[in-house]
Amino acid sequence: MKNTLRQVFRSGKFVTGFVIFSAILLLAVIYPIISPGNPLQMIGLNSFIKPGTYVSVYDSLNTQRTYTFKLPGAAEKRIDSKLSNEDRLNIKDYLLRFGLPEEAVDIEQTHDLLALWWNNYDPELRLGSTIAENRYFARLDDKLAGIFESEDIEVGELDPDTGEYVRKKMVTETDYVNVSDVANVIRLPLGTDNFGRDTFRELVSAIGTSLQIGLIAGTVATLIGLLLGLLAGYLGGVADDIIMFFSNLFTVIPGFVLLILIAYSIDQSQRGVTTVAIVIGLTSWVWTTRSVRAQVISLRSRDHVNLSKLSGHSLPRLIITDILPYIASYVVMAFILQISSGILAEAGLSMLGLGPKTTDTATLGLMMDWAMRYTAHISGAWWAYYPVVLVIALVSFSLNLMNTGLDQIFNPQLRD
Amino acid sequence: MKGYRKYFTKKIVWFLITLVAAVILNFVLPRMMPGDPVAIIVGRVAAGVNDSSSTQAIYESYQRDFGLDKPVIQQFFIYVKNLFQGNFGKSFSRYPTPVSDIIKSALPWTIGLQFPAIITGWILGNILGALAAYIRKGFDKVLMPVTLFLGGFPAFGMAVILLSVFAINLGMLPVQGGYPAGMIPSFSWTFFTGIIKHYHLPFWSIVLISIGGQSLGMRSMSIYELNADYVKYSRYMGIKDRKIVGYVFRNAMLPQITGLALSIGTMIGGALVAEIIFSYPGLGTTLLRGIRESDYPLIGASTLIITIMVLVTVFLLDIIYGLIDPRVKAAQYE
Amino acid sequence: MGKVILEVNHLSTKYITRFGEGVYAVNDVSFKVEEGRSLGIAGESGCGKSTLALSLMGYYFAPLHYIKGDIIIDGSNISNRHPDDVRKNVLGNEIAYIPQAAMNALNPTQRIIRFIEDVIRAHNPKATKGDIYDLARERFEILNLPADTLQKHAVELSGGMKQRTVIAVSTILSPKILIADEPSSALDVTSQKMVIKMIHDLMELGYIKSMIFITHELPLLYNVTDDIMVMYAGQIVERGSADQMIFDPLHPYSKGLMGSIIVPEDGTRDVKLTAIPGTPPNLKKPPDGCRFAPRCKYVKPQCKTASVPFEELCDGRGSRCIIPETELREAYRNEQ
Repeated sequence: MKNTLRQVFRSGKFVTGFVIFSAILLLAVIYPIISPGNPLQMIGLNSFIKPGTYVSVYDSLNTQRTYTFKLPGAAEKRIDSKLSNEDRLNIKDYLLRFGLPEEAVDIEQTHDLLALWWNNYDPELRLGSTIAENRYFARLDDKLAGIFESEDIEVGELDPDTGEYVRKKMVTETDYVNVSDVANVIRLPLGTDNFGRDTFRELVSAIGTSLQIGLIAGTVATLIGLLLGLLAGYLGGVADDIIMFFSNLFTVIPGFVLLILIAYSIDQSQRGVTTVAIVIGLTSWVWTTRSVRAQVISLRSRDHVNLSKLSGHSLPRLIITDILPYIASYVVMAFILQISSGILAEAGLSMLGLGPKTTDTATLGLMMDWAMRYTAHISGAWWAYYPVVLVIALVSFSLNLMNTGLDQIFNPQLRD
Repeated sequence: MKGYRKYFTKKIVWFLITLVAAVILNFVLPRMMPGDPVAIIVGRVAAGVNDSSSTQAIYESYQRDFGLDKPVIQQFFIYVKNLFQGNFGKSFSRYPTPVSDIIKSALPWTIGLQFPAIITGWILGNILGALAAYIRKGFDKVLMPVTLFLGGFPAFGMAVILLSVFAINLGMLPVQGGYPAGMIPSFSWTFFTGIIKHYHLPFWSIVLISIGGQSLGMRSMSIYELNADYVKYSRYMGIKDRKIVGYVFRNAMLPQITGLALSIGTMIGGALVAEIIFSYPGLGTTLLRGIRESDYPLIGASTLIITIMVLVTVFLLDIIYGLIDPRVKAAQYE
Repeated sequence: MGKVILEVNHLSTKYITRFGEGVYAVNDVSFKVEEGRSLGIAGESGCGKSTLALSLMGYYFAPLHYIKGDIIIDGSNISNRHPDDVRKNVLGNEIAYIPQAAMNALNPTQRIIRFIEDVIRAHNPKATKGDIYDLARERFEILNLPADTLQKHAVELSGGMKQRTVIAVSTILSPKILIADEPSSALDVTSQKMVIKMIHDLMELGYIKSMIFITHELPLLYNVTDDIMVMYAGQIVERGSADQMIFDPLHPYSKGLMGSIIVPEDGTRDVKLTAIPGTPPNLKKPPDGCRFAPRCKYVKPQCKTASVPFEELCDGRGSRCIIPETELREAYRNEQ
């Protein structure tokens, strides 16, 4: 046993898969501890808020201390962020009419662009083709002139008695606040989903739930498969024929069709996470049954099994001491694959609208379903579905990698 | 010849058995749940439709067509009789369109998309797997984890990634549908190019996934074959390596046909979900609509057609395999 | 003295593993085979006899590598020729091979005639289908194989038929020398005899000029070959005619090998079977001095240090042992 484990952990593939899987598992376990809270709380009132750190505007004005910094590029950056793309294109349009070569005008370089404008704009020239256009250029010139004017902002408060604004504070261009001084800061590493829920927190909780689904489905499938495989392989005869008939049948009749039919037929209120997981397990025991049966048949006629039989050992004892240890590696490998296919099955089912009917937990499939229903992929809200796809792919990749590693250890033919 | 006849008879009998089992399951599963879910499901439709008199009409016609008030055995025979007539009842959500019409319009899209894609993925996957086994070294070191990653990738994930990159960000290809929106399906050149444009993304997402699934199997199969005794013997008889690689490729590829037959169910399932991402007008999208709109007859018909599609494919693959791999013939003598 | 068909001088080949470790599987081997004669090579499994068979083909691929020595077939040295030249003009034409696992030596999904076509065209691209078919049918007839075998796949043939088919394919180009590497170990005794008889028939009919037969079952060699060579740990330890080797082995290892088998002869029922104790040495790190010394009953202190050359004795006989011949014979006599 110890030796086998040592051998297993010497396989590069297994270890890589194990590390990736453990990292994901640790994230799902540890993150809720260090940052507790309801993962499905709808904190944002807009949908698909993009990733980043959000500071309460209100609180930032009320912070006790402000700091003064004089940064060299601050003014440029500010102008840069204020000048809209449309304005830039219009400036370029004017400059081209003025006769500047196309390559001389770069709308990305705010400083140069403005310099060109001020050097070349002349309202007398009337370069616009219509009066309206000429008026527009004049307005644009006014706007650009204002861009460099003092940016100090006056903050006023409405006096409830007099109904007049009372000056409360001047915010100058060089005022800064420290984020840690602001009472309300929200960090949304992956933004929010369509319901305004913190996607990252939701994702972490979904990983946990999906792993649970995989584990339950895998356990159910492995137990059924093990039991049927043992029965078929050990008893042989009619029992074997019947079991093999059904496993051959369910090899060709696609499992996901059964899954859809069963999931749809279950009363909606009962279609919780556990139910879905069990249903997935119930439809995916075929491969375990087959591989266990094949192993048991080859074991049945081995000397140590015969010896045990002759010594009058009971069937359970015989199975536990003489058969299980020899098929353990295959069962573990099948179990690992079942976990990953269980997670994938849940995702597919949820995308068809047949996932767990629940409003208090998220699963990876449900997150994907929500993102698709609210067309995150069309509105460019990548954070609502890319991380989900990546996590599903990584979980299944790590499990497959572990499986391949084990396969190479236990089937030396495949070793490099 | 005797071996062949035995093999084909066995396969045909098995195909019929699975077909019957599929029909029974499709009938029984929804009725096995406590409290006759079919009645509940049919009842559910009432919640969605405001006009109570039309709900009543839908419900009654369904009850009449499928004999819901009769004993289960009798219901089953009515069900089978209806199937033989191609009658799946009328759609709840698009009453009174017959479900068979909806299925008929969706099926060609699914077949036209999935089979070419799965076969292309299968061929490419086999070539890559064989190359990985033959070249080994660096190629294998890179290819192995990549295909393992692809193989475990969900088809809808691949679909959504390709969609966001090529359709949304690069704007190279259309976002959804099977043909240009607003166009009426016809046999014109513009319509055809429109179809091709919409075909790319769903097609490649299925191809990439199938490559991942197939190449790993082919790789281990080829490694096994490369170590076979006939390779060594052929070499020492002076046959060129290139020719021997041909032997190996053929021998490793033939069992992959069976591998495809065994995995086609799962692959089609994944591809149906990928269809949804692109709102491709096939069975996957139809099934989704049925589920969202509680259209029970539509769901039942879709699942049955999908199962039959899988069974027929498996059967055909078995037949093809039997015809081209002499090892099958020999196994029948034993 | 007949014409020398195969002459091997100081041939050494090496297995180089994936980790770059080298193992001399064939170490400085020299011998000759004359026209019309057959040579048996015997030894325990792992002694390098199968590798020697492959090394003689003059065509190497990983992990087997050529190190030094000459292989001269009918006066032409093939060890310094280009691999593609060897493949095209030597393999099958000059020297052919029947592999150990003849059962699996045929591609299961190819018709036999297609494989024969591939073999012949690999050497003579212009051969026509008709000629190939005629030749194949003629040879199959000699080996008592029905003509319709040609149209079958290997999987459809019985074990014995596969065996005969492989012999027919290996000799289809009438090679000068045929190397049979334990072609019969998987078959029962009757089939073994048939195989050997067939190869002899082919030699008498002139399709092959001489042959090398490799086995670990010595009684087979007694019935089959004119000369016998015993290998141990990649080296030849003794060589002589079949009679000499079986009834009067000189080297303690040959003696031990003879002791561990029954020669089918009067009185053998009373002979006690004695296996050689111990296991062959690890070729990654062969022992200094005589490689057999750790297992030798008659070992002397100098055996473990001194290098032991192969010494030619009279009548084409030779042995690799530093203990004088007389002393050994004395020891053997005392035992009985």
